[in-house]
Amino acid sequence: MSAATTPTPTPAGVSPLGKVVLALLAVVLAGALAFFLLWVTGVGPLAVDWIIETGDANIEILRFIAAATGVLLFTVPAAFVIIYMELKLIAQMNLRVGPDRTGPWGSLASLMAGLKVLSKEDFTPRGVDVPVYTLAPAVVFLASVMTLLVIPFAPGMAGYYMELGLLYFFAASGIGVVGLMMAGWSSFNKYSLLGGIRAAAAVISYELPLILGTFGVVLLAGTLNLGQIVENQAGWMWNWYAFQQPLALIIFFIAATAEAGRTPFDYTEADSELVAGFATEYSGMRFGFFFFAEYVNVFILSALTVTLFLGGYHTGVDIDPILGFLGVTTPVELGNIDPGSLGPWLLAIPFLVPPILVLAVSGLIWMVKSEWGIIKSLVVGFVLTNLLVGAAVSFWAIFSFEALLGLLVFFGKSFGLVALFVLMRATYPRVRIDQMANFAWKWLMPAALLNIFVTAGAIIIVREYFS
Amino acid sequence: MTTPREQVRSLDDPEVMVQTPGTIYDTIPPLTPRTEREAEFYDVGDGEMLVNLGPQHPSTHGVLRVVLKIDGEKIVDLDPVMGYLHRGVEKICEHGDWHHAISNTDPLEYAASMFSESLPVLSAERLLELEVPRRAEYIRVLAWELNRISSHALFIGWLALDLGGITPILYGFGERDEIVEMLASLTGQKLLFNYMRIGGVNGDLNHDFLSRLGDWMSRAGARINDQATLMNENEIFVNRTKGLGVVSREMALQYGMSGPPLRATGVPYDVRRAHPYSVYPELEFDIPVRSDGDSYARYLLHVDEIKQSLRIIDQVLHQMPDGPVMAKLPRLLRVPPGRAFAALESPRGQYAVYAVSDGSDQPFRFRIHDPSFFNLQAVVPLTRGHLLADIMAIMASLDPIMGGIDK
Amino acid sequence: MLTTLDGRLGDRLVVPAEAMGDTIELVVRPRDLTDVMRTLRDDGALRFELLADLCGVDTGLTMQVVYHLWSPLSADWVRVIADGLSRDDPRVPSVVQLWPGAEWAEREAYDMFGIEFEGNRDLRRIYMPPDYLSFPLRKDFALADDASRGTGAGIRHAEQPVAPAEVRLAPVIRSSAGAGAVLGADGELLALAASATDEAPAVDSGEEPA
Repeated sequence: MSAATTPTPTPAGVSPLGKVVLALLAVVLAGALAFFLLWVTGVGPLAVDWIIETGDANIEILRFIAAATGVLLFTVPAAFVIIYMELKLIAQMNLRVGPDRTGPWGSLASLMAGLKVLSKEDFTPRGVDVPVYTLAPAVVFLASVMTLLVIPFAPGMAGYYMELGLLYFFAASGIGVVGLMMAGWSSFNKYSLLGGIRAAAAVISYELPLILGTFGVVLLAGTLNLGQIVENQAGWMWNWYAFQQPLALIIFFIAATAEAGRTPFDYTEADSELVAGFATEYSGMRFGFFFFAEYVNVFILSALTVTLFLGGYHTGVDIDPILGFLGVTTPVELGNIDPGSLGPWLLAIPFLVPPILVLAVSGLIWMVKSEWGIIKSLVVGFVLTNLLVGAAVSFWAIFSFEALLGLLVFFGKSFGLVALFVLMRATYPRVRIDQMANFAWKWLMPAALLNIFVTAGAIIIVREYFS
Repeated sequence: MTTPREQVRSLDDPEVMVQTPGTIYDTIPPLTPRTEREAEFYDVGDGEMLVNLGPQHPSTHGVLRVVLKIDGEKIVDLDPVMGYLHRGVEKICEHGDWHHAISNTDPLEYAASMFSESLPVLSAERLLELEVPRRAEYIRVLAWELNRISSHALFIGWLALDLGGITPILYGFGERDEIVEMLASLTGQKLLFNYMRIGGVNGDLNHDFLSRLGDWMSRAGARINDQATLMNENEIFVNRTKGLGVVSREMALQYGMSGPPLRATGVPYDVRRAHPYSVYPELEFDIPVRSDGDSYARYLLHVDEIKQSLRIIDQVLHQMPDGPVMAKLPRLLRVPPGRAFAALESPRGQYAVYAVSDGSDQPFRFRIHDPSFFNLQAVVPLTRGHLLADIMAIMASLDPIMGGIDK
Repeated sequence: MLTTLDGRLGDRLVVPAEAMGDTIELVVRPRDLTDVMRTLRDDGALRFELLADLCGVDTGLTMQVVYHLWSPLSADWVRVIADGLSRDDPRVPSVVQLWPGAEWAEREAYDMFGIEFEGNRDLRRIYMPPDYLSFPLRKDFALADDASRGTGAGIRHAEQPVAPAEVRLAPVIRSSAGAGAVLGADGELLALAASATDEAPAVDSGEEPA
């Protein structure tokens, strides 16, 4: 290396990471300064008091705002999970592997897809009807998301308890059709027009069987309040409305497949016929909205099926008699130990119990699997102990807080139905549009009406002669 | 004729861009119609719309553009526009050797290229009256039948994909993958094999190929059955294809169709039996024939043909003789003057060549008759009056491949 | 079958039907074409119902249209050659009335050779762009030159030297009879027909194309 070369000077400036850190530091310092000033001058506590006072007075509104925000925030991760499920499940059914590079087992693939969609250029094609074109994705997205407000996720955990919950649900999801038509019409494109009209025709045809299919449940429950409907299905599994209204369940599920725009009724994105249907002229995040709306729609229709027919957040097993028999009460009591009376032995719990447990489990493993060394069995024992303790704590939590159990059961059932939707997508080809309309108007709707009549008749008979 | 130089406008001249009306390349050109049919087609009635099923489309089996005149969802008329994949293969063959023609005709039927590259081979052998070694003939039949199976597996997948089912094509590709790997160990290529030679084949079977073939034969039936079961009884699939695109016997003969679309109408015309070539007379197989003539019948026929091909491969493996795989030919091959029409049965129909030789080492005229060209013509009368979704079902069931149609 | 054909069609054939391999070849004049085709298709003893192929051939001296037919009654193909079309204005009656499937094949023959099929309602180009000016498969279309670009094309051949304007390229035309007769640009004979074992003689005016 020749001595004549001088090292190039480093460019003056901050690296990107440095910029982020500096910005955060500035924010933290400014916040600390503001907080100090507010506290010192006495404005802070006054303001806080005022906030608490108005909050208490308007607790309902605040609760509603919190519920709406929660619901909106919930949709995006739910959509990501459903997209990942779809990618992986369909891949397995196609004898493929699916995404497995981004994240462990490809779990970040849908997140990356979302980020990619976000990073695309946001353009408006020439000739479109700009306000309608811009608002269409918002309408479709909101129509799907607004319905989440009334679904009871767990006992005591619905966004808003409405007496007319079911009516509100169908009203809100019906607005989606307007959004589809807006998207198809405003794009300056014959393909989009055709796609939009086809999609709207499909959705409208199947809304009637969808709604009529639920009338049987409403008649049996006597209310439109979704929370009440779920409560009616408490207890053992045969209380679920699925066993009292099997035809309605089938009708509802088929109509829900068409409502969500899933194969075999996926005219919204019949990509072997009309490339991208009504969303041909959309790209970037606008298309992302349609995409999300579809997956959220899938989720809420599954959630509604679960709520109406499959017992909502109830496990289907009436565990109280069993627990009573075993002498266990909920919430599970851990005995009447007063922590204060332990004295210095209180320290034993966090410092002695974990190492003893780990050593015990590792010792067991080392004795059983003698070919593993001490280090390996210690590591495995550590992991295993964590898992065991976590499982124990989870069991305690689940049985103590029925909301947690309810939440898990609800999500399990909903995602199970979503998996059924995904399975149908992988298996079936598409139904032709006139065959679809035929099926909806000539078969499903009469079947739904028949179901209502039979249910009503049965209720009257039972009431007259058996009670 | 070559246009005289004075009439040709060079693209380097900027005036050319200004003078050329852009309308000649419009998607739906308001151009002055050149023929009666064009005038009739572009005369758009009240409420009708012209839509492009454009050259870029997932379901047109290549770059095919179909201009549709639709009335709502119903198709009133169609006008297929081809030529996006035209490579001038016939002209190129006239300027190269007879041997060069083998590589030039390879990409014509790219899904099953052993058939298209056999065209110059068979025609030259007929003109030379060459005796091909028997082992080479048997290897050729093996290659042909393997290509037939892989092409049919792909056809079933395409048909399902065009109708919206995304799973059967991956099963088909799984099957095709194995066959193609086998042929890669035999020929060195996976898609455009370049394996046939005038007088034989390029290289004998090797151990890797035979072991893969044996493995595959033991499992082949099962996966095809899987793929077929997924679709045969599938209510939605049957409703989409049954009674659709019905081709009558007269129509098939008038349109010059061949292959599965012709056999699905009840005409038992298979080139392997009607004009036997190679060692097919010594092999035992049936010609599946159905009489419905609709898309569903064509689909079932493809599945039947796969089973027959498996039978043929079995016999070939048992009867394979020993010997050389290539006949002795002079270095500079001059084909004696004459005219020959050589035909073979490809997965899509009758693949034929009309070769005219003038005694030199270049073909004088090398006319390639592609079955998809004639089969695709039927799409126009079959689809009129049906819905937009039906054009996929009909076109896919006729199994066109644009490489051959556009040459 | 050979005798039946001779019998039914004898007066309309230019030369007697010739059997070569598994094909029987008939040569007709363009004006007799429709009759011959109709007889071949409809006659009860012949029944050549399937039109297997339709193509044009440029022999350098004339144009031909060649049809191949199949019949369930015969193990042979029948090849009908409509010979003697002039190279400047080739016209032949269309068989679209007999076989609707011939429409696209006739379009292709028109596109590649310029042969006009009278009676075809849709005789426009099928492969080349609509404003293309030349007919590519003709023997006087030299591939390396490819000067007859439509405005959509414009790809220059990679090895093509930019020829100066004053050099005329004389085409080499070979006839299908097996001779290597060389005609000059004005049609005069430059070299005699050579035997099949000789190379095509060099053209002495201009440069030799490909």
